[in-house]
Amino acid sequence: MSTHRASSRRFRLARLPNSIFAFLLVFMVASLWVPRFFTPGNLSSLLLQSSIMIILSVAMALVIIAGGIDLSMGSVLSMCGVIMALCMRNGLHALVAIGIGLAIGALFGLLNGLIVTRLRVPPFIATFGSMGIAQSLANTLSGRRTIYWESGSHSSLVDLLKGDVVHIQLGPESSMVFYIPFLVVLTAVVVGGVIFLFRRTVLGAYVHAIGENEEVARLSGIATRSWTTLLYVISGALAGFAGLLMLIRTNSMQPTSGDWLEFVAVVAAVLGGNALEGGKGSLVGAIFGALTLYMVRNALALKGIDTSVTMVVIGAVLVIGMFLNALATRHEKKLSARAETENA
Amino acid sequence: MGKLLEFRNISKTFPGVKALDDVSLDLNPGEVHVVVGENGAGKSTMMKIISGVYAPDRGELLLDDIPLGRNTPKIAEQHGIAMIYQELSIVPELSVMENIFLGHEIRRGILIDRKAMDKRAEELLASIGVKVSPGTLVKNLSIANQQMIEIAKALSKNARVIVFDEPTSSLTDAEIKELFRIITALRGKGVGMFYISHRLEEIFEIGDRITIMRDGRKIATAPIAEMDMGKVVEGIAGRRIENVFQRHFPAKGEILLELKDLCGERFQHVNLNVRAGEIIGLAGLVGSGRSEVVRAAFGIDPYSAGEVLVRGKKMPRNNPQRLAHEGVAFLPEDRKREGLALSLSIRENAVISALRRLNPLTIVDGRRERATVRDFVRKLGISSPTIEKLVHFLSGGTQQKVVLAKWLITEASIFIFDEPTRGIDVGSKSSIYSLMDELVGLGAGIVMISSELPEVLGMSDRIYVMAQGRIAGEIDREEADHVSVIQLAFSQTSASQGRSLQ
Repeated sequence: MSTHRASSRRFRLARLPNSIFAFLLVFMVASLWVPRFFTPGNLSSLLLQSSIMIILSVAMALVIIAGGIDLSMGSVLSMCGVIMALCMRNGLHALVAIGIGLAIGALFGLLNGLIVTRLRVPPFIATFGSMGIAQSLANTLSGRRTIYWESGSHSSLVDLLKGDVVHIQLGPESSMVFYIPFLVVLTAVVVGGVIFLFRRTVLGAYVHAIGENEEVARLSGIATRSWTTLLYVISGALAGFAGLLMLIRTNSMQPTSGDWLEFVAVVAAVLGGNALEGGKGSLVGAIFGALTLYMVRNALALKGIDTSVTMVVIGAVLVIGMFLNALATRHEKKLSARAETENA
Repeated sequence: MGKLLEFRNISKTFPGVKALDDVSLDLNPGEVHVVVGENGAGKSTMMKIISGVYAPDRGELLLDDIPLGRNTPKIAEQHGIAMIYQELSIVPELSVMENIFLGHEIRRGILIDRKAMDKRAEELLASIGVKVSPGTLVKNLSIANQQMIEIAKALSKNARVIVFDEPTSSLTDAEIKELFRIITALRGKGVGMFYISHRLEEIFEIGDRITIMRDGRKIATAPIAEMDMGKVVEGIAGRRIENVFQRHFPAKGEILLELKDLCGERFQHVNLNVRAGEIIGLAGLVGSGRSEVVRAAFGIDPYSAGEVLVRGKKMPRNNPQRLAHEGVAFLPEDRKREGLALSLSIRENAVISALRRLNPLTIVDGRRERATVRDFVRKLGISSPTIEKLVHFLSGGTQQKVVLAKWLITEASIFIFDEPTRGIDVGSKSSIYSLMDELVGLGAGIVMISSELPEVLGMSDRIYVMAQGRIAGEIDREEADHVSVIQLAFSQTSASQGRSLQ
C-alpha cells in the first residue's frame, strides 16, 4: 500500500507543468540580476503586459490539446479590435460594440471549426486561410490606420476598464506603485472561467480524448465534430476578447496589433507542456508559459538589452524547456517501468 | 430463453471485396461465443456491424428478437453493446475514472459529479476484482490493467453484449487468467460475449460455442465441446494442415552471431550464439528480458557490459546501421511502428534499406528496383496485384512478408525475429515458417523470440529459455518439450528468490 501511495505522489509531481519550473527559474534569475525587476510597479506592469498573451495561450492550449491549432488568433484579435473601435467611433455604446466584436470573433471560430470538422481541411491550413481573411478585413475596415474615438458617455465603460482596481503608492517613485488594473482582473475572471469549465465539466476529458485519438472519442459516444467546432468558437471568442483588452490598454486600435501573436501563443502553449500532436498538456501550463515569455522580455528590456535579442533568448528558453520536458518524460517512463517490474 | 442478439442473413460488400456473405449467427445470454478465422475472413466487419460502425447491405440485426433497424455507435451503446478492441481505446492522459465514464459522465447540471463517478468507478472495479485507484492516470497502468479499465467502462454502460477483439494478444499468462476470471464472472451475470482470437489454445478454455469464418462466409457454428483443434484449424484454413512446422536440418556452419556476457538494465550475463543453418528459439515469459536482449544486441538500446560478435568481429554499441551493414536483420514485434512505413508502397518499403546497394551510382535505377522487388514478391508469395500497393492496406501476415522482403533485398544473413507470427492468421503463419526454414537452408542464422510454445518447439534447433533477465537454460531440439521449457522459464524465479533470502 505504501508503495502505491509513493508512486502516485511521484506521478503527481511529474504532472506539474514544466513551465512552472521555468517560470520560477526565470523569476529568480531576473530578481537577482535585474535591478528594477523585483519592484511592485514592475511586477504590476508585467501582469498587465502579459494578460493578452495569457488569454491567447489558454485558447491556443485548448485547441492544441484537442490536436488542432488556431493560427488565425492574432488577426482575429486585430479584426475584432478594429470592429469594436469603429463601432465606438460611430457613437455606439461600448457594451454593444464589445458584443459585436466578441460575436464576430466567435463567428470566425465557428467558420474555422466547420472548415476543419466538416470539410476535413487540416487545422493548420484552415486557420492559416482565415488568418488571411481576418487580417485583410482588419486592414480594409481600418484603412490601415490607427482608430481613435471621441471619449463620451457611450465609451465610459472603456474608460472605466482602463483604470485600476487597486492602487497603492508605496514610495515616491513610479516603480513603487503597486496596482492591479481592471484588465488583469478581467483576464483572471475569464481565464478562471475557462479553467473551471475545463475541469468541472466534460470539456477537459473530451478535449484530451479527441486530441489523443479522435476515433476512440467517437466510439465512446462523443460528438467529436461538434466539440471540436465548439473549441474553435471558444478560441475565436477569446481572440476577440484579447482584442478588447488591446483596445482598452492602448485606448485606440491598430489593425496590426495582433501581428505574430498567434506564434507567441503557440510558443507559450508548447512551453507549457502542450504537445503539438495533441492529447496532453494543460491550460495552467500555458499561462505560466506566457508569463515566462513576458518576464524574459521585461527583464531584458529593463536591463537595456536590444529587443532584437529578446527572440534569441525566448527561442533558447523554448528549446531548453523542451529538452527538460523530454528529460522529465524519460524519467517518468523509467519510474513507471520500474513500478511495473516491482508489481510483477 | 430468447436470443440476446441475432445476425440474420447479413451481407456487406466493400469496393472489390465481399466482406460478409449471407452470414447468420446468434448469441445467448451468459454465453461466450468464440469467432475464429484468418485475417480478412470477415470477423471484424461482423463486429463493426454489431457496434454500429458499418451498416449491412442486406440482412438484419436483431436484439432480443426485435430488428434493430438503423444502428450507429451511439444506438448500439444505448442498447448495451460494448466493444473491447484489440487496440485499446483508452486515453492515456486521463484518469481511470475519466476513462470509464468517457462519453457518459455522471453530471449534476453541466458540472461533472466527481464524487459520484469516483464511488461508482470504485464499485465497478471491485465487481471485477481489479485493484486500481480510480484517480490513477491510465498511462501509468500495465496493458492488462488498461484492458480491465475497458471492461469496467463497458459495465458502466450496463453492457449486455460485449465483443472482445483479440483481448489476449498483449497479455501475459497470469493476466490472461485474470481476464478469464472476469469473463467467467460476466457469464454468471448473463452478459453475452463474442470472443475473437487467433490463439486457438485459449478458445477451448473460455468458449461455449464457436463459429468459424472464412472468406466472408460462415463455415460452421458448434458447441465447443464438439470441436477439437484439428477441426478448427482445418475449418479456418479450408484445408488440412498436416504439419505447420516443416523443418529441414542443413549442416551447421560457422558461428554468425554471438553474445558474450551481455549485461543491461533488464538482463544480466547473457551468452548465446547462432550458427549458419540454425534457428535459435528465445523463449521465456513476457517481461523476462528477451526483447531487451536482442534490441541491445542490435544496437537499438544500450548495454552496460559484454560483447556482441558478428562472424567473430566485435560490434560497436548503439550502432544499428553497423549491424545492418554486417548483414544482421532485425524484424521487430511492432511492425507498424518499427518495421514499416505504412503510407509507402510495397516497393518503397522493400527497397528502403537497400537503396545504396541497388543503386550504386546513387541514381535510382527504377527498372532494376522494380525487377528486384517483383522477384521477392513472387518468392515470398506476397498476395497483392501490384507492388505499388500501399502497405497500409495489406493484412498483418502480408505486411510481415514485406518486412522480410526488405531485409532479404539487403542480402542479410542473420535474422532476428521478435514474435514473427503475433496477430497473423494460420495460413500466413505457415508460409512464414517455411520461409524461415528456407532461409537457414541458404546458410542464414535465425534468432526467434516467441511466446508461442508450439512455435518455439516446432521451429528451433536449440532453445534458450530466459527468466528474470538471465538465460535459465539451453535445450536441444531433441530434448525439448513443453514441460522442460516451462520449467526453465519459471525455475530461475524461485532460484533467485532463494538467493535473495540468503
